[in-house]
Amino acid sequence: MNAGIALGIVAVVVLGTIALGLRGVRGVAMDPQEYIVGGRRIGAFLLWLLLAGEIYTTFTFLGAAGWAYGKGAPAYYILCYGTIAYIISFFIAPPIHRIARERGYLTGPDFFADRYGSKLLGAIVALLGFLMLVPYVTLQLTGMQILLQIAGFGTFNPLVAVAIGFFIIAIFTFVAGLRGAAWASVAKDGLVLLGVIFAGIVLPSQFFGSPAGALDAVIRDHPGWLVIGPPSSPSGIVWVISTTVLTACGFFMWPQSMAAIYSARNEDALRRNAVFLPFYQVMLLLVFFAGFASLEILPGLKGPAADQSFMLVVQKSYPAWVLGIIAAAGTLAALVPASGQLLAAASIVGKNVLADYGIARDAAAQTRATRILVLVVALLAFAFWALAKTTLVGLLLIGYNGITQLFPGVVLGLSPRRPPAAAVGAGIITGLVVLIGFAVTGQGQVMGINTGLIALAANAAVLGIVWTVSPKRHGRTDTPLSTVASGS
Amino acid sequence: MSPRAVAVVCAVIPALALTLGVALVDRLEPRILGLPFVLAWIVAWVLLTPAFMWAAYRSTRA
Repeated sequence: MNAGIALGIVAVVVLGTIALGLRGVRGVAMDPQEYIVGGRRIGAFLLWLLLAGEIYTTFTFLGAAGWAYGKGAPAYYILCYGTIAYIISFFIAPPIHRIARERGYLTGPDFFADRYGSKLLGAIVALLGFLMLVPYVTLQLTGMQILLQIAGFGTFNPLVAVAIGFFIIAIFTFVAGLRGAAWASVAKDGLVLLGVIFAGIVLPSQFFGSPAGALDAVIRDHPGWLVIGPPSSPSGIVWVISTTVLTACGFFMWPQSMAAIYSARNEDALRRNAVFLPFYQVMLLLVFFAGFASLEILPGLKGPAADQSFMLVVQKSYPAWVLGIIAAAGTLAALVPASGQLLAAASIVGKNVLADYGIARDAAAQTRATRILVLVVALLAFAFWALAKTTLVGLLLIGYNGITQLFPGVVLGLSPRRPPAAAVGAGIITGLVVLIGFAVTGQGQVMGINTGLIALAANAAVLGIVWTVSPKRHGRTDTPLSTVASGS
Repeated sequence: MSPRAVAVVCAVIPALALTLGVALVDRLEPRILGLPFVLAWIVAWVLLTPAFMWAAYRSTRA
C-alpha cells in the first residue's frame, strides 16, 4: 500500500516530465546541431538551467547529504568548488563561446581538434570524456536505485531497481535531446527545491526544533565533525583545498558543460550567468543540514550506505506521500542530468571519432550512431554500477580526476599563441597514467593532496616541457583572438 | 588599473577566501546563526561572490 502510493507519485512525476521534455522539442527538427547544442539559440533562462544542471543532481540530493552524514565537514568543499568554477567560467566561457560560434563547433573535443589542428587530439579528448562520463552516469543510476528501493519499501531488489532506472533514463534521452532536457530541468529544479527545503528545514526542525538544533546535537555527540580538521586528519584541510581547486577547474570541462556554453545565445548571457549562479549553490547548505540531522536520527550507516541516510529517515518518519514526492524529486535529479550526460558522451564519440574518421558519413548516420552510443554508455554505467561499490561523491571524484586533465588544453587553446597538439596530448596522457598509477595502488591522496591535482600538475609540467623542446610552429592559420572577458 | 585588472582582482578575492581562506578559519567557534564558524565563512563568501563578480562585470562593460 505504502509502496504503491510512493511509487505511484514517482511514476506520475517521471511521466509528466517526459511529456514536458517532448513538448519542448515539438516541431523542432532533430538534426545533430539541434539535438546536441539546441541549435545554438538557448536563451538566458534555459541556459541558466543547463549550466546549473550539475548543482541539482542526485549528487547533491543524496551524495552531499551522504557525505555530511558519513564524513562531516569535508563535504563543505562542495559549496566552494561550484562557486569558484563560476568565477573561472566568467573568464573562459565567453571566449570559448565566441570561438565555437565562429568556427562552428558542436562538441567539446571539436575545440581541441580545431584549435590545435589535430583530429587525433580531438578523438583522444572525445574518448577521455566518454570514459569519464561513465562513473558520472553510474552516480545517477545508483541514485535512482536507492530512491526506487526506498520508495518501494523493499519491493525491488537493487538489480531490478537499477534496471528500471536505466530504462527510464535511456528512453528519456532518446526522445528529448538537449532542448528537451533543458525544459525538463524546469520541472526538476522546482521539485528538487521543494525537496531540499523539506530536507534541510522541515525535517531538522521537527526533530531538533531548528536546523541549528541538529547541529548542536552533532557537536555534542560527534565532537570535531563540523570542522574540517588539520592536514593530518583524513580528508583534512589540504585535501579539501586541493579537491576544491581540482573540481573547480574541471567543472566546465565536461562535454555537456562545453555544449551548454556553445548553446548560449550570446557571450553576455554567459557572463551574467557566471555572476549570479553562486546563489544557486546556497541550497547545498540545506542538504548538509539534512545529512547532519540524519546522522543523529538514524546513526550507524557505513560507507556507500550513508548515501541512503536521508531517504531512510524520510521513509521511517513521514507518510508515504511525502516519501513519494521526495523520491520523485530525487528521481528527476538523476534522470535529467543523466540524459544530458549520456547525450554528451554519445555525441562526442559520434562526432569526433566516428564522423571525423569517416565511419559515420552523413547527418542521418551520425544521429543514428549517437543514439546507439547512448545505449553503450548506459550499459557501461550499468556494468560500472555492478563493479564499483563506492559512495556517490566517490564516483563523481573519479570522473573529475580524469576530466580535469583537459583544463590546461582549454585555457591555452584560448590564446593566439598555442602549444603544439603533441604537447597537449602528451600532458593529458601523462595525467591519465599518473591517475591510473594511483588507482592501482589505491591512493586517493598524497600528504593530504588529492591525487587528481597531482596528476594535473604532472600533466601541466609535461605539456610545458614538450612545448619548450618542440620546434617552432610554422604558419598556423588563425585570426588572433582575445582571451579577455570583454566585448561581445 | 585597466578594466581587465579590476575584473581579475574582483575574481581572485572570493576565490582565495574559498580556498586558502578556509584553512585560516577552520574553527567551530564563534558560531554564527548556529553555523560552525568555518561553514558560516564559506556560506558568506558564496553569497558575496556575486557582488564581486558583478563589479567585475561592470568594469568590463564600462
